[in-house]
Amino acid sequence: VIGEALAPLWGAALTIAACYAAGTALISRLGTSLQPAERFPLAFVLGAACLHLTMFTVFALKIATRPVLFALAIGVIGVAIWNHVQNNRVQPRDAAPAKFSWTENPPAFGYAAIFIVFTVLYFITAWAPEASADGSGYHLELISRYLDAHGFFPITTNLYAGFAQGAEMLYAMAFSFGGHAAPAVVHLCFAVALAFAMLAYGIRIGKWWVGAAAALLVYVTPVVGKDASAAYIDVASAAIAFCVFYWLEVWDESRDDRALIAVGLLAGYAFATKLTGGALVPYALVFAAWRSWKRREGMMKRVLLIGVCAAWMMSPWLVKNWIYLGDPIFPFGASVFRNPNMHVSAIEEFVAFSHGYRITDQRLPVELFVRGDVVGGFLGPVFLALPLALLSLRNQTGRRLLLAGAVVMIPFFANLHARFLIPVLPFLSIAMILPLSNLPRAAAALAAFHALASWPPVVRSYINPLPWTLTRSPLAAALRRETQDGYLRRTLPGYPQARLIEAHVPEQGRVFAFSGIATSYTSREVLVGHMAALNQNMNDALVIGWDSESQPRMTIVFRFAERALQRIRIVQTARLPLHQQWGVHELRYYRGGVEIPRSPAWRLHASPNPWEVQFAFDNSPATRWRTWETALPGMYIETDFGTDQRLDEVRVETSRTDRDAKLQVETFSKTDETNKTNEKMQWVKIASDPEQREVSSAPWFRRAATDELHARGVEYLLIQDRDFGAADFDEDPESWGLEIVARESGMTIYKITAHKVTP
Amino acid sequence: MKRLPCAIVLLSTALSTTACQDRWYSVPPQRQPPADYHPHAARVVNMDDYDADLRFVRDIAPKTDTSWRWTGQRPAIKIKVRAINNLTYTIDFTLPDITFKYTGPVTVAFTVNDHVLDRVRYDTAGYKHFEKEVPPEWLTIDADAIIGAELDKMWTSPGDGKSFGIILTQMGLKQ
Repeated sequence: VIGEALAPLWGAALTIAACYAAGTALISRLGTSLQPAERFPLAFVLGAACLHLTMFTVFALKIATRPVLFALAIGVIGVAIWNHVQNNRVQPRDAAPAKFSWTENPPAFGYAAIFIVFTVLYFITAWAPEASADGSGYHLELISRYLDAHGFFPITTNLYAGFAQGAEMLYAMAFSFGGHAAPAVVHLCFAVALAFAMLAYGIRIGKWWVGAAAALLVYVTPVVGKDASAAYIDVASAAIAFCVFYWLEVWDESRDDRALIAVGLLAGYAFATKLTGGALVPYALVFAAWRSWKRREGMMKRVLLIGVCAAWMMSPWLVKNWIYLGDPIFPFGASVFRNPNMHVSAIEEFVAFSHGYRITDQRLPVELFVRGDVVGGFLGPVFLALPLALLSLRNQTGRRLLLAGAVVMIPFFANLHARFLIPVLPFLSIAMILPLSNLPRAAAALAAFHALASWPPVVRSYINPLPWTLTRSPLAAALRRETQDGYLRRTLPGYPQARLIEAHVPEQGRVFAFSGIATSYTSREVLVGHMAALNQNMNDALVIGWDSESQPRMTIVFRFAERALQRIRIVQTARLPLHQQWGVHELRYYRGGVEIPRSPAWRLHASPNPWEVQFAFDNSPATRWRTWETALPGMYIETDFGTDQRLDEVRVETSRTDRDAKLQVETFSKTDETNKTNEKMQWVKIASDPEQREVSSAPWFRRAATDELHARGVEYLLIQDRDFGAADFDEDPESWGLEIVARESGMTIYKITAHKVTP
Repeated sequence: MKRLPCAIVLLSTALSTTACQDRWYSVPPQRQPPADYHPHAARVVNMDDYDADLRFVRDIAPKTDTSWRWTGQRPAIKIKVRAINNLTYTIDFTLPDITFKYTGPVTVAFTVNDHVLDRVRYDTAGYKHFEKEVPPEWLTIDADAIIGAELDKMWTSPGDGKSFGIILTQMGLKQ
């Protein structure tokens, strides 16, 4: 038990030490003048950026084994120590430390006490087994799979695999030595670093209490505490964003261009940690350019320096995505970088799902500040005083803070959840406290009030139901006096499902699930229904199995005078409402009422989504080609017969969900449906106004659906009772070609017994 | 230099669009209906089935470790019907001595989707079985059928005031 309890601390300590060492070594090389209070936070975060890139290289080389990672960590620490001991010549020139005396500043003890109390709470929570949804889901699942493979490999069935993993690269090192709980401790270190950086900023502007009060405003904020003590990345993003701002201030004050290397690296790392952090790159570029222009100094060199350093951090992720997934900003570039791994509609739905509220909703402030129910956590009532921050516009410091905050806030409007405001909080908090800079007691009172209002027992007294926030300190779980299994079954929805899979699905088994589970707690691959194009197609097949509206119960028949043609298109001509798709289950060609057998000589194409055109020609009632984006005029399915083919009828088998599409048949010819002859070959309409027929359904939808899954290597299904269609699987597993492997409260694992088709 | 970002964007867009446009595929293997495919038309729910509780509509006691359940006055279950012809209502239950000696003869109406299939008077206690073919017009393919029984009297425990109907073992539709 002791070993189990200490392992996360060992993994985290090694990673944190490696980050700090890397940062210290680089700062020494840069020779930038820093105050003592600035060294830990700036070195840790800058080092994290460097270590992440090294880890990326290790994963890219597929040598990510424990000995290699250990050697890497020890090597980085060793280099830093060697550098410190041997290379005095390039030691940083510490700026004159600001005057500060604990005895002359008794409120500092209060700030420190609050900080320590919350740190203990956070630390115990982080130390306990990882029980967060995203942490135990994709953040740790993906690094776990990469570690198992000792390196990167294409994961095309999980949209999160395309997210840059700047923080997760550090978590991977911690995870490999400390297991699931270690990454959260590393993340917590970012929160501590952020608080220290804000304190250091207060000292830098000559008013430590401004930094201390603002740091506490951020640090004790409920959503920050919850996030920081889990394997999330939002607080890391906040720390990185603030450090970009900080290094720019250091550069602006010192005029030492070497600081811009840190700016560029960190701005790029902000992107590598979270795509939205990319906003810091143009911010840094514009700030540097603007300040250079104001000083009548050359801006190009500086802009280039930042740009190159940022690109160094960003480009590995862009290239990895482009090579593996066909979209450098996967999954968000699906509509531009068309690829077979992600449907455009999935991103549209992902973005729509991300909006808890509309920005114009009058309840949003209440949700963000005091309820947190819909927006996934809350900031605390103290932030109702946010308008105070506007008073800081009176001075340059405040204006710069609010400008940086505004830039960092832009992504929030695309995802209205409280934790996406975390990167903005450092800027807003300092700007809030600045107007009180001559009233240190008022600043202290504000911080003390916020701490009190954020303490879990107090939160419980004024918010019901509790939002995403810390509720109590899981000390027994942290010390492993309560078993990990017992603790997670009690606290983590999705964990029992993962363990059920682990117990009943053989190694290398692939499982399909309609909804997400704690995938990092199973070594089996779990394909969640909405996570990628392949998953969505399987999801669609299963829905077709039980949902009559999605089954091909309608045939659209086009008749025209018999003619010889080589290429033919079914073209959709209507502009359908947003998110409404067009789909075709089967497309068949006839002559004299007899279907023309499909020939290997035929060539098939579709636009959009050409990769799935075969679904319209596979004779399966459980598959369909779909646009997977809003249907627009001009979308089509094309067949090239290879040679002239005589036909007089086209039948489009489709479902009632696709009834709004307006179709016509076109061919590549000189003559159109009215026998009018054009000068050159072009696409001409030969039939429209089709007849629509309702048809009785094939009885084997269910079996056909599971056959499709099996053909794609999926042999197991996890169906939870709350899943749509769950009752249908329960009702008659045999008709699905399934047998029950295991059942626990609320969930069933089925094995697909049908296996007669090939991909 | 200024044109470089634009060139990169245009090039990448062109590449991705071209990649999309040039993709042609051959006709895939043709799926065929499985020869051994015989889905169940309906189902009989045993009270110890793992998912029995999911089928209950009303008046059946929740999950126990036994293979039977006490019912109330109008027990009913729901069953998804895949075919409507040749389906038979079937039920196995017990009129226990302990209740029968107070209630005397009990008449049970057996129902399908609120249609009364039959009404049977039971003059003795003990195990009972009933089955009868269901008119297809009472059923709808791929819809839930409500299979029920209605008792004309129940026994009420004088101790706690709870009422008890029959001891149900299985109920449903078979082909």
